[in-house]
Amino acid sequence: MNATVYPLLLLWSLLCGLLFPLYFGLARLLTRWDAGRIMRLYIWLYGRGWLGLTAPFVPFRRENFDRDPLPTPCILVVNHYSFFDTYFMGGLPVFDVAFAVRSWPFRMFWYAYFMRLAGYLDVEGDEWEDCLASCRKTIAAGGSILFFPEGHRSRDGRLQRFYSGAFRVSIELGVPLVPLCLTGTDRLLPPGRAWLRPARVRLRTLSAYAPSDYPGALGYVRYRREVRDAMTRELATMRAGRK
Amino acid sequence: MTDQEIIGLIDSSLQEEFELEAKIMTPEASFYDDLGLDSLDVVDMVIVLEAAFGFKIREEEAIRSIRTLGDLHAFVIAKKRKLEGTA
Repeated sequence: MNATVYPLLLLWSLLCGLLFPLYFGLARLLTRWDAGRIMRLYIWLYGRGWLGLTAPFVPFRRENFDRDPLPTPCILVVNHYSFFDTYFMGGLPVFDVAFAVRSWPFRMFWYAYFMRLAGYLDVEGDEWEDCLASCRKTIAAGGSILFFPEGHRSRDGRLQRFYSGAFRVSIELGVPLVPLCLTGTDRLLPPGRAWLRPARVRLRTLSAYAPSDYPGALGYVRYRREVRDAMTRELATMRAGRK
Repeated sequence: MTDQEIIGLIDSSLQEEFELEAKIMTPEASFYDDLGLDSLDVVDMVIVLEAAFGFKIREEEAIRSIRTLGDLHAFVIAKKRKLEGTA
C-alpha cells in the first residue's frame, strides 16, 4: 500500500502543481469567481483525487448528508485523528470551504501559497479580529469555514477539549454550525507513524446547530459543550459499528 | 471589586473556558506546564478576560511575559486599579 500510495500522492501533487497556473488562468477567464473560491475548488478537487488514489486500500463513505444536507454557508467542525484528515475533506459534498489551521502548515512553502490564496485562516498566528474579518468575507461570498476544534490530532482516539473559535465565529456571524464525525483515519495514519495502514474511513454529518439557541455572554461555552457531547456520542456509535 | 473578587472572577472564567479543575488553579500554576494551555488558548484567554472585566488587554505588552496564574492575577489587578485611578 505504502509503495503505491505515497508515490502516487507525490505524482498527483506535482501534476496539480504544474496544472495550477493553467487551471487558475482558465477559471479566472471563464468564471466570475474570486481567487479564493477558485483555489478552494482546486484544493477540493485535489482531495477528490486523493480519495480516488487511495480507494483500493481506503474505502471512503459519506454518511447522512442526504438526510441532513449541509446548510451553506456554515461553520463545519471535525474531529482530528490524522495528518490526512484534511485530505478526506475532499469527500464533502461542497467545495467552497476555507480551513482554519494552526501556523505550522503555513511554514510549509509548498502549501502556504495555496492556503493563503484560498483564504485559509492562520488561527494561531493571526489576530482574532483578522480571523473574524476573513471568516466574514468568506461567508459573505457564500463559502463555509472548517475548524478542527481540538486543535491537535488525538493520540488516544478520544475527543479532546475544544477550542472556542468555531463557536464564537458561528455566533458572531450568525451562521449555523455543523459537526462532522470522521473515523478510520486514526487507523490509516495516527500521530507518530509514517506508514499507512488500510482502513475504512467514514465521514458522518450531524444536524446543524443554530447559534441563536446560545444567547448571552457565555452562550458559546454551552454551545461548545453540547456540540462536543454530541460528537462524542456519535463517534462512540460509529466505532461500535452501530448505525 | 476587591483583589480577592478579581482573582475569583479570573479563576472562574478560566475554569469555565478551559474546563479546568479548581484544585489546580494555584497562583504558582504555569499556564503551559500545569494547566496544559497553549498558544491558541492565549487568544481565548484574552477574549474571556476582556469580556469578564470589560477592558482591553490584548494590546498590553506586559501580557506577553505572563507565565503563571499568579502573574495573571497581578496583571489584571494592576490594570483594574490603574483604570479606576484614571476614572
